[in-house]
Amino acid sequence: MLFSSITFLYFFLTAVILIYYIVPKPLKNTVLLAASLLFYGWGEPRYLILMAITMLQGYGFGLLIQYLKNKGKQTAAKISLAATVLFSVGILGYFKYADFFIQNWNAVTGMSIPLLRIALPIGISFYTFQILSYSVDVYRKTAPAQKNPINFATYIALFPQLIAGPIVRYCDIAKELTDREHTISKASEGTRRFIIGLSKKVLVANLLGELVNAYKESQAHSILFVWLYIIAYALHIYFDFSGYSDMAIGLGKIFGFQFCENFNYPYISSSATEFWRRWHMSLGTWFRDYVYIPLGGNRVPKWRWFLNIFIVWMTTGFWHGASWNFIVWGIFFGVLLCLEKLVLLRYLEKWKWLGHIYTAIAVLVSFVVFDAASLPDAFATIRDMFGFGTIPMTNPESFYLLRSYAVLLIFAAIAATPLLKTAAKQLAKKPVGNAILRFAEPPVLVMLLITVTAFLVDGSFNPFLYFRF
Amino acid sequence: MPKHLKDYMVIGLCGTVLLGFSLGSILLPDQETSLTERRRLAQAPECTLGTISDGSFMSKFEDYALDQFPLRDRFRSLKALVSLNVMQKKDNHDIYIADQFVSKLDYPLSDSSLLYAADVFSNIYDRYLADSGCTTYLSIIPDKNYFLAEKNGYPALDYEQLVQKLTSEMPYASYIDIFPCLDIDDYYRTDTHWKQEALGAVAIALTQQMQAPYSNNHSTVAIHTPFYGVYYGQSALSMQPDQICKIVKPCHDRCTITDLETNSQMEMYDMEKLNEADPYEMYLSGSKSLIHIENPSAQGEKQLILFRDSFGSSLAPYLTSSYQSIYLVDIRYIHPNLLGQLIDFSDSDVLFLYSSLILNNSTTLKK
Repeated sequence: MLFSSITFLYFFLTAVILIYYIVPKPLKNTVLLAASLLFYGWGEPRYLILMAITMLQGYGFGLLIQYLKNKGKQTAAKISLAATVLFSVGILGYFKYADFFIQNWNAVTGMSIPLLRIALPIGISFYTFQILSYSVDVYRKTAPAQKNPINFATYIALFPQLIAGPIVRYCDIAKELTDREHTISKASEGTRRFIIGLSKKVLVANLLGELVNAYKESQAHSILFVWLYIIAYALHIYFDFSGYSDMAIGLGKIFGFQFCENFNYPYISSSATEFWRRWHMSLGTWFRDYVYIPLGGNRVPKWRWFLNIFIVWMTTGFWHGASWNFIVWGIFFGVLLCLEKLVLLRYLEKWKWLGHIYTAIAVLVSFVVFDAASLPDAFATIRDMFGFGTIPMTNPESFYLLRSYAVLLIFAAIAATPLLKTAAKQLAKKPVGNAILRFAEPPVLVMLLITVTAFLVDGSFNPFLYFRF
Repeated sequence: MPKHLKDYMVIGLCGTVLLGFSLGSILLPDQETSLTERRRLAQAPECTLGTISDGSFMSKFEDYALDQFPLRDRFRSLKALVSLNVMQKKDNHDIYIADQFVSKLDYPLSDSSLLYAADVFSNIYDRYLADSGCTTYLSIIPDKNYFLAEKNGYPALDYEQLVQKLTSEMPYASYIDIFPCLDIDDYYRTDTHWKQEALGAVAIALTQQMQAPYSNNHSTVAIHTPFYGVYYGQSALSMQPDQICKIVKPCHDRCTITDLETNSQMEMYDMEKLNEADPYEMYLSGSKSLIHIENPSAQGEKQLILFRDSFGSSLAPYLTSSYQSIYLVDIRYIHPNLLGQLIDFSDSDVLFLYSSLILNNSTTLKK
């Protein structure tokens, strides 16, 4: 089920919120778990079993690791951790990467092992990483193992962040799972965040997605069209993903949780290093804490440090999808980060404007690779971007689409920076401005909700990018 | 306003919208059809263990929830208004408004579609016309975009290329150019079609080229049922309706019209269609695969076989005084292989008359 759907908004969410607030506190997690399983099973009922098995092993191994740790059996605890990690990664590998490995094996050996053609279970990359973080946190004793299976299952299956993150670490919400506060202020803040996220997704990302699709379906490309496509794609993916994160965080607040932030205006970055501190932050910090640091981080010889960076970024790319595109995309950023650490950062920090241009171009080029159907397609698009192809500078179709999407593109470009937030903050500093903002907020949110509803009712165009993760 | 009051208002107002439309969705009776979109709406899916386990219940429920949402048409209008006026998009679902006419973008020119259409026509020619003494003609009806698109900054077909490609693929047919006979006012504002009352010049051009006698003696009768065309519903915008008219020739009373699909008699104008989803179907009852019009008192003695789309329905009444026998063939609804059993093609005038919309999207033609 998509957050940005009539079924979710007007059937599922309304009913869940009502029931959640009616039932007594001890039953709230049960309601959330039941709702989460319905939410997940709505799209793929057969994968509920897979999720249940994955959760069960995570729960069991968590308790076992804690028991062994408490008994001082370090080796056994380590073996248990390795077992649960292998199990989780194995499940993810089988469902997400099996065909990729078979394809490449066939290509290298000339064999023709048939592909498994398994449909990717929704959200498997997210909930697998949550189980991994839980097991490691228990092993490291940063959080106690969860004894209550309902609480544990609620953490893994929690529908607000199940299919698109942020990747919530167990240690961050362990306390809230058993004891959380529900206030009007929190619920109102959550509602506001949810509607803003919903608007980002439906009113901006989906429409930019139409422009991206127009490029992909057109036979008449031009250099202008390629740039329109890639700028639209970069904004589309940002508003899509950050919109989903906003919705998740907002829903979390409505149900009393405090999820971590996932985006912090990444397009204002002046280096790739800064970009990754602002983009999909929960994934970046997950890889830092559970891969990079265990590998030794930067407290190792320089060659090893760069190897660690290379491994982290290759796996980050691979996490996004079972294709060479994503691996190259990850490695591209790994190389940029190494270069920045070695040489570039000192110049980029000195000349910020240069940093912004460099980062913008690097990110746009990276998204060409990210979105391409294959690596040759990606290289062809990059060649066209910079005028080395055979396509004309402009054509009537690209001019038309530029005019048709100009307002949206300009708005999206501004909204991708902190400009609007800063303006609102400045306004709120003055008593009159603050009064205006407070008075305007409820009707503006209702208007947004109704406009989003109008767009959802009108169109069936509502794909969601992150289903494949 | 104190913060806590604002918080209450946010929750109260947003909660009311969510709960109100939720209850509306559940309690309001389901609609069967959408008049504005001219389609059947999704109905409540069957909920069984089987439909749940195979996921069909869920996917059908999503369609159902969308189709049966309260105030659906109002919401579609709001979306169109926001898209066109706030976001300044130039079209909504490819529908655009220019010079107060609604039209739908149709570009680029599809070579494969043109070749397919030409292939369909050539098969008909080879099978029925080549050795039967027929004289074959081709005429193309420009769609509204021809008059509106380029002039208003919208991408448009290359109509010259369209004509050139099709005529070169059909060397056996004499091309009759009716583009100069038409302008945008000859089309409905809210519909894709041309106005029947504006087709005098087209009828003259066609009959002149086909060397058939033609009498311009007809009267125009305005019909007072408001005509909301197909683009009205698709655009979801509030617009004034068009006026629909019919032309009446003295010979119409003497015509015998047979629906060869059902072998039953029919009227030139089916006035009951005015109250149905598509009033344009008033002309020769709309989507019919094969119609035969006989007029024993026609000025000419020849037979016309008109391969046509829906535009031909409103043109045919003009030609009744020129031909004793007219067959209207719509090969979107009948396979050309069957025509030999139903039509004697010998010594006929054969006119392929198609709108550019069909030619550029010709997969509906049967081959």
